[in-house]
Amino acid sequence: MTEAPILIVGGGPAGASAAATLAEAGLPVLLVEQRDQLGGAIHRQPANGAGDHVWRPARHRRTWAALTARLRACAGMIEIRTQTVFLGVDGAGRFLFDDRRAGRVFASRPRAAIVAVGAIETIRPFPGWELPGVMTAGGAQVLLKETGRPPEGPILIAGSGPLLPALAAQLAKAGNPPVAVLERGRPWRPGTLARLALAGGPMGEAVAYAAALALGRVPYRCGALVTRAEPDGAGLAVGIRAGADERVLRVRHLLIHDGIEPNRAGIPLPAPEAAVPVLLAGDGREALGADAALLDGRRAALQLLARLGTGTAELAALESGLERARRVQAALAQALGSKPMVPAPETLICRCEGRSYADLQALADDASVREIRLMGRFGLGACQGRFCGPMIAALRGRPVPAASPPRWPLRPVSVAALARLSTDETE
Amino acid sequence: MSGHFFWSGMPVAFRPGETIAAALLRAGIADLGRPDGHLPGGRVFCGIGACQGCIVAVEDAAPIESCLTLAREGLRLGPLPALGTGHD
Repeated sequence: MTEAPILIVGGGPAGASAAATLAEAGLPVLLVEQRDQLGGAIHRQPANGAGDHVWRPARHRRTWAALTARLRACAGMIEIRTQTVFLGVDGAGRFLFDDRRAGRVFASRPRAAIVAVGAIETIRPFPGWELPGVMTAGGAQVLLKETGRPPEGPILIAGSGPLLPALAAQLAKAGNPPVAVLERGRPWRPGTLARLALAGGPMGEAVAYAAALALGRVPYRCGALVTRAEPDGAGLAVGIRAGADERVLRVRHLLIHDGIEPNRAGIPLPAPEAAVPVLLAGDGREALGADAALLDGRRAALQLLARLGTGTAELAALESGLERARRVQAALAQALGSKPMVPAPETLICRCEGRSYADLQALADDASVREIRLMGRFGLGACQGRFCGPMIAALRGRPVPAASPPRWPLRPVSVAALARLSTDETE
Repeated sequence: MSGHFFWSGMPVAFRPGETIAAALLRAGIADLGRPDGHLPGGRVFCGIGACQGCIVAVEDAAPIESCLTLAREGLRLGPLPALGTGHD
């Protein structure tokens, strides 16, 4: 029997960083990624033939090039399985994967696991957010990186956060500047900016994005938000409000985003001291962004090495890097903070099951998770509550505890693939 | 070089290495069908396989997230209930 590998779920910066660190320490690694290439959303590579024209900070290119070089240097220690989707952990503690390339499910009993499945974008719902033509800003950015081309037709970007001007600048540079960027917060007050700069925020990047927006003549409106969207021919009629000013913009694409949260729906709970240790890393543990995810992946790997008795954790430098990222995120959250808004009753909360805010309000104020799920049918649909969960938590002012223990499968999986289940050689 | 797959019988061009979602959107196909009267229709939304909004039916195979799956020559795809989702 060969030595059981350390399993790493997710090939973004955190997972890749953890894989390189463990392999460099001499441990075999099984790195599983749902897409056809490593990199995660941040380092999504252009599809074959599409040029890599998307404007982004040079730092990201450099860090990813350095990390992929490290992975290549210890390629003999790392088995990479792409196009393979994590389904969860079964009752027997096996990690289950849907190998989409082979069309079959396989089970792995690793020596330890690091789960680095990234973040989910959060959305503040409004009537019409469920329509075709409405996409998350992050999703649109991934598509832009892959295809090298912006979507055609008028684009409106709305919500909150630094991704909004970043994406707007990238779209402008790619040849289709959005008609406007609506930021619901009011971040650009001098005191706020000073606090952000003091926290070590990426002010240079902010200036570059602002310059690109100015050059593309893209209006950036603070304290402005989308109130509703309706189908309008091949596009959307989008109601917007800025102070007392209300009007309708006709666009083809509405890109929304209100921040990110760790992707934890159905993900195993961290258990660093268990017989088979499980650690979380990167934005999937704490949403601190791509630079911090590199540090956090390395931190998880070093913690695991210490736990397995094959290394001593030198974590102080990593911790201070993460603490800095935490200060930037806190300053950003403070800068962007805006009051929660009560959605119109017809607003969809659960898109999968077609459940509205009125349906949520019909539940008792102190409804349990079980009641929210079984009576309200929230969180039961195909997305497993990855989107309605954070919305419900924000609207009710407290987190919705996850179903415990996490249940598999996290994603729909075909019965045929399950029937071809294979187990790895360690069983 | 590029290929074609079929969306509800209609050929859709794709470039090598491109996802089904990217090709559909470039062809102007944003509405991925309406499973029934009261549920919203399919669409590409999160781009990272999380929201499950872009799941499409595949003839003779299991439904897949179009944002994760590379387009392949000759794939026959459609809205979820249209084909491939029967349990026979």
